[in-house]
Amino acid sequence: MDATAIAPNPSRSLHRFANPGRFLRLSGRFLAPLAWTGAILTVIGLGWGLFFSPADWQQGDAVRIMYVHVPTAWLASAGYMGLAVCAVFSLVWRHPLADLAAAEIGPVGAGVTALCLATGSLWGKPTWGAWWVWDARLTSMLVLFFLYLGQIALVRAFDDPERGHRAGAILALVGVIDLPIIKFSVDWWNTLHQASTITLTSAPSMYVGMLWPLLISALGFSLGFAAIVTARLRAAVMERRLRGLLMARAQAGA
Amino acid sequence: MTRKRRRMLVLAVSAVCLGSAAALMMSAFSSSMELFIAPADLAAHAPRPGRVFRIGGLVEAGSLKRTETGGHPSATFRVTDNVASVKVTYTGILPDLFREGQGIVALGTLRPDGHFAASEVLAKHDATYMPKDVVDALKKSGEWNPASGPPPPASTWNTLSPAQKKS
Amino acid sequence: MNHLPYIAAAYGLTLAVAVGFSLAAWIRMTRARRRLDAVDPRARAATSPRVAG
Repeated sequence: MDATAIAPNPSRSLHRFANPGRFLRLSGRFLAPLAWTGAILTVIGLGWGLFFSPADWQQGDAVRIMYVHVPTAWLASAGYMGLAVCAVFSLVWRHPLADLAAAEIGPVGAGVTALCLATGSLWGKPTWGAWWVWDARLTSMLVLFFLYLGQIALVRAFDDPERGHRAGAILALVGVIDLPIIKFSVDWWNTLHQASTITLTSAPSMYVGMLWPLLISALGFSLGFAAIVTARLRAAVMERRLRGLLMARAQAGA
Repeated sequence: MTRKRRRMLVLAVSAVCLGSAAALMMSAFSSSMELFIAPADLAAHAPRPGRVFRIGGLVEAGSLKRTETGGHPSATFRVTDNVASVKVTYTGILPDLFREGQGIVALGTLRPDGHFAASEVLAKHDATYMPKDVVDALKKSGEWNPASGPPPPASTWNTLSPAQKKS
Repeated sequence: MNHLPYIAAAYGLTLAVAVGFSLAAWIRMTRARRRLDAVDPRARAATSPRVAG
């Protein structure tokens, strides 16, 4: 049994600060390389996709929207998975960083999901002929966006932050059910949205000259997402430490 | 049992309950999750006459006739799922991706004579992405005719160099 | 149909959101560090890898 489980009042004891301290030191070291690698890969991937990759024989240049739409779609799901992992760490181990991390992943994930929906709409109009259709893929992605919004609101809805984090974690875990629905919606039901191009079972049905920029920009987006969340988490840890110090000082002065 | 393990157990049990509830609900509502009806299912699940619904399938090769009614472009074509097919009429501008062999989804009603009067036609893009010269090379070598069916397996063309293919 | 406006809108939107989130995170981080420094200079030892050793 570790110390986290027996500490009677975790918010006052020292271990609450021990782990975040190590996080600050570690993240301070890798944040800058992470952010720069992400930015450079994103620029390479998008530049390649925008100017050097071939146009699709049917969609023409509209296919270039894929290089922003697909990475944001992957990240929307991956970010929510991150939220769920944080929720497990928070609910089971009461990990002090997991609550803060979930609170910082939420808004970034919602932003990425909004981008996925918006770029998808901008891609749908010139190719399908419609901005939006209520098919299973689009609807389940919209549900994911609302799950993010719900988590963001719930985390901040209580006067006691501990309760907010707990409620947000439970919603995050309940919402995980939407992830397989998003993934398999195009296989389980008939949709306007096309099926997956990149699968584990067969060769990607995409020309290599389009696949490479897509994979590079997806990697760049992912590293960028990680860097933004890390930076926000660093800020959150420092803000909490600041509040602790100010409160301790006020009590000592009183 | 430690508190940590108890919390883990509670989480696992809730996950199983929630997962099965969701799975049951989805299988119950499965048919309403479908965006469109395939021509082969039209006979079995024929919606009431006059009801607006969507059909989906491929535009049958050789069936497309573009005409003009009252100054507006209009088209008749057959939508097939390779089992059954249904005649579709539509007045309006077809999407850019519309062609014979393309997947489409049409919104409209079934008329008494059995044809589908569409008020909206959307192109359903498939999951393949190819540059034009690769398609031209495949057409030239006779490996694929886009009007007649889906493209050949991806591994035969996704690293194809069109210049190489020509020589 | 001309696809350029759609492509420009998609890339522009993505760029705007990415830059917005990055800048906001950066500003929030530097402000938190500055305020922490002002309250307790020793606390900085834990936030910066250079001083940590």
